[in-house]
Amino acid sequence: MSAAVICRNVSAGYRQQPVLHDISLTIQAGQMVALLGPNGAGKSTLLRVLTGLQPLTGGEVELFGRDLRQLRATERARLVAVVPQEVTTPMAFTVAELVALGRSVPRGRWAALAAADRQAIEQALAYTDTLELRDRYYSELSGGEKQRAIIAMALAQEPQLLLLDEPTSHLDINHRLEVLQLLERLNRERGLTVVMTSHDLNLAAEFFPQLALLNHGRITAVGAPAEVLREDVLEEAYHCKLAVRRDATGLLMILPTRTATAPTGKRVHVICGGGSGVEVLRRLCLAGWQVSCGALNQGDTDAQTAAALGIATALEKPFSPLSDGALAAASQLAQAADVIVVCEVLFGPGNVKNLDVARQAGKPILLNTRQVAARDFTSQREVPALLSALVERGATPWEQVGDLLIALEKVK
Amino acid sequence: MNTHHKRWPVWPLLLAVPLVCAGALLAGAAGLPDWQTPLGRAVLELRLHRILTGLVVGAGLAGAGVVMQALLRNPLAEPYVLGVSSGAGLGAAMAVFFGWNVLHLWAVPAAAFVTGIVTLTVVYFLAARGGGASIYGLLLSGIIVSAVLSNLLMLIVSLAPAEGMHSILWWILGNLQLSAQPLLMTGGALVLGSLVILTVLGAQLNALTLGRETAHHLGVRTGLMIAGCLALATLLAATSVALAGLIGFVGLIVPHAARAWVGPDHRKLPAVAAVIGGLFLVICDTVARTIVAPQEIPIGVVTALVGGPFFLALLLRRRKGGWIE
Repeated sequence: MSAAVICRNVSAGYRQQPVLHDISLTIQAGQMVALLGPNGAGKSTLLRVLTGLQPLTGGEVELFGRDLRQLRATERARLVAVVPQEVTTPMAFTVAELVALGRSVPRGRWAALAAADRQAIEQALAYTDTLELRDRYYSELSGGEKQRAIIAMALAQEPQLLLLDEPTSHLDINHRLEVLQLLERLNRERGLTVVMTSHDLNLAAEFFPQLALLNHGRITAVGAPAEVLREDVLEEAYHCKLAVRRDATGLLMILPTRTATAPTGKRVHVICGGGSGVEVLRRLCLAGWQVSCGALNQGDTDAQTAAALGIATALEKPFSPLSDGALAAASQLAQAADVIVVCEVLFGPGNVKNLDVARQAGKPILLNTRQVAARDFTSQREVPALLSALVERGATPWEQVGDLLIALEKVK
Repeated sequence: MNTHHKRWPVWPLLLAVPLVCAGALLAGAAGLPDWQTPLGRAVLELRLHRILTGLVVGAGLAGAGVVMQALLRNPLAEPYVLGVSSGAGLGAAMAVFFGWNVLHLWAVPAAAFVTGIVTLTVVYFLAARGGGASIYGLLLSGIIVSAVLSNLLMLIVSLAPAEGMHSILWWILGNLQLSAQPLLMTGGALVLGSLVILTVLGAQLNALTLGRETAHHLGVRTGLMIAGCLALATLLAATSVALAGLIGFVGLIVPHAARAWVGPDHRKLPAVAAVIGGLFLVICDTVARTIVAPQEIPIGVVTALVGGPFFLALLLRRRKGGWIE
C-alpha cells in the first residue's frame, strides 16, 4: 500500500492563533478515515491544509508522494476533490451542468479530452444515482439530493482522494445513511481514499474502519473504532461524561450521560423491577435526587439501569425469591431515604415483600396505582388490598411519571 | 415540477443582428435618405457610425455585467456597483471641465479609461486590506467609492460653465455619437479581445459562481482568475464609457436576459450577452433619435425607461427560484 496523505509535523493557523500543532498523520491509499473531535479541534483546518487552502506555518504535506506546495492547481484538482458542508450558487445550473463543473479546468489539449470529460461526468452521475436528476435545477433539490450532486461533481474530477467536511451535518438520518453508503461503495469499488470530518461518532464508528481524534489542534488517538472510541479518550476530548456501549447487533454506540444540574440533597428509595423503574430512575437522577433502589434480582433490567446510573441497590441472586438478607438491605436504604416511590411493577411471591419494606420504613410513599389487579401474581391475590391499605395510611397515588415528579416536588 | 428547461439556440440572435441593423439604418427623421446625394450619404454614414458604436458599447457593458455578476455572485452587480462607471464618468467630466477635450481627440476617452481603472484598483485594495478581497468587501467598498465619485461628478457639473456643463451632461446621459472613428475601431478591438478571453475562461467563471473555495477545489487559481476577470470587466466597462458616456441598465439587465436565453454557462454567456447588449443599444438609440424627431432624447433615458420595466418583469417571472433563471 502506498500513502495517500502524509502529514509531517504540520502546524497551521489563523494569524496569531495557531490551530494545528505538530500534526503527524499517514493515511494509506484506499483507506476510509473519519476525523473526529469537538468544535474548534481543528478538523476543518486539517482538511483545508490538505487542499492547499490553508497555508502551513510548519511541517510538510505529501499527497500521493508529491509535496503539496509543488503541485499545480490543476494537478491538485486531479488528485483531491472536496465535498463541503454546503454548496450554494446563484446560478440556475441543472444537475448535469453542475456536475460538469468538476471538469472546469482543462486537462490537456482541447478536443481530445472532450470525450473523456463527458465520460467522467456520465460515470459520476451514474455512481451517485443522480442520472434521473440531471435535468432538474440544483437549487430545487432536497438536501440529500444536493449533497449527492456535489459528490458527483467531485467524482467528475476523477480524484484519488475525496475529502468531505461534515457532508451530512445538514441532512436528516435517512439521507445521512444514503451518503455514507455511497462513500462506502466508492471506497470499495473504486479504491477511492475517503477522509471525512464528522460530529456523528455513531455513524463514524459504523462506516469508517479508521478514525482519528483531534483535540486542541493535536491528534490524540488514531486507530480502529474500538481503539479510539473509548470512554476515557472521548471524555478527555469532549469534556463530558460519555457511555460507550455495544448494542444487540454489536454496533458501537456512544451516548452522552446527562448529569444532574442541581442536587436536591434529598434521598429517594425506589421499589421497581422488570423494567418498570428505568424511566423513573433516570428522571430522578436527572432531577438531582440521591436515589437508591431494591430489593431487585441481579440481571433484572432495572438492576442494570441502576448500576449504569450508579444507584445504590439492594440485590438478591438471579431468579430467586427475595431473601431476608436482601430485604434487610432494602429496609436500610428505605429508612435512610426521605421518600419512597413504588413503580408500576408486577408483584409475585418473589418480590411482594418489598411492600412490607415500604410500609415499615415509615416514610411518605408515592404509590403507582395503575391496573393493580392485572399486576397481581401472588397466590392469595393480596396486592390490591395491600396497596389500598397503604393509600389509607397516607400514601400518594400516581399513574404517570410526570405526575410522580410533580408529587415529588411537594415532598421536597 | 418543471424538469424541462428552456435553453434556446443562439442562431436566432445572430440572425437578428443584420435585421436590426438594417432597420436602424433605414429608420430616421429624414426617412430613407437618397444614397445618390452627398447629404444622403452623410446621413447614412452617421447612422452607420451610431449602429457600430451601439454594438460595441452594448457588448462591452453587457460583457462587463456578466463577469461582475458571476464573480460577485450577486444579481445586482454591474459596472456601476464597483464604481467603474462613475469613476470613468468623473474622468470624462474632468477632461471636459479643464478643457483637455479641445487639446486632443483622445483626451476624454483616455481620462475616462484611466479613472475607471484607478477606481477599480482603489476599490480592490480597500476590499483586500489584510488578505484576499472578499465578495462582500468588494461590494461594500465599491458602493461607497461609487457614491463618493458620483457626488464629485455632481460638484464638477455645478461648477462647470454653461457650455461645458451641457457637454458634461451629454456624457452623463450617454450618447452614441460622441466617439470619433479611430476611437471606435480601437474600442471595438479591445471589447472583442476581452470577450474572446472571457469565453476561453468561461468554464472557470462557472466554477467561481460556486464560491471561491469550491472553485479552488476544482483546480481554479482563484486569486489570479478574480483579479484577471475584474481587470477585463473594467476594460470592457471603461472602454464603453469612454466611447459613449454613462449608459445605465445595460450592464444590469442584459446578463439576465442572456442567462434566460442560454442558461448560466459562461462559455457562451459573454458572447450571447454581447450580441443581446449590442442589439438592445442599437434599438434604444434608434428609438431615441426617432421617437420625438427631429428632437433627440438621450439614450440613457431610453435604456432606463425600457430596461426598468423589463427587469421587473424578469424578476417577477423568475421569482420562484429567487433571482435564479
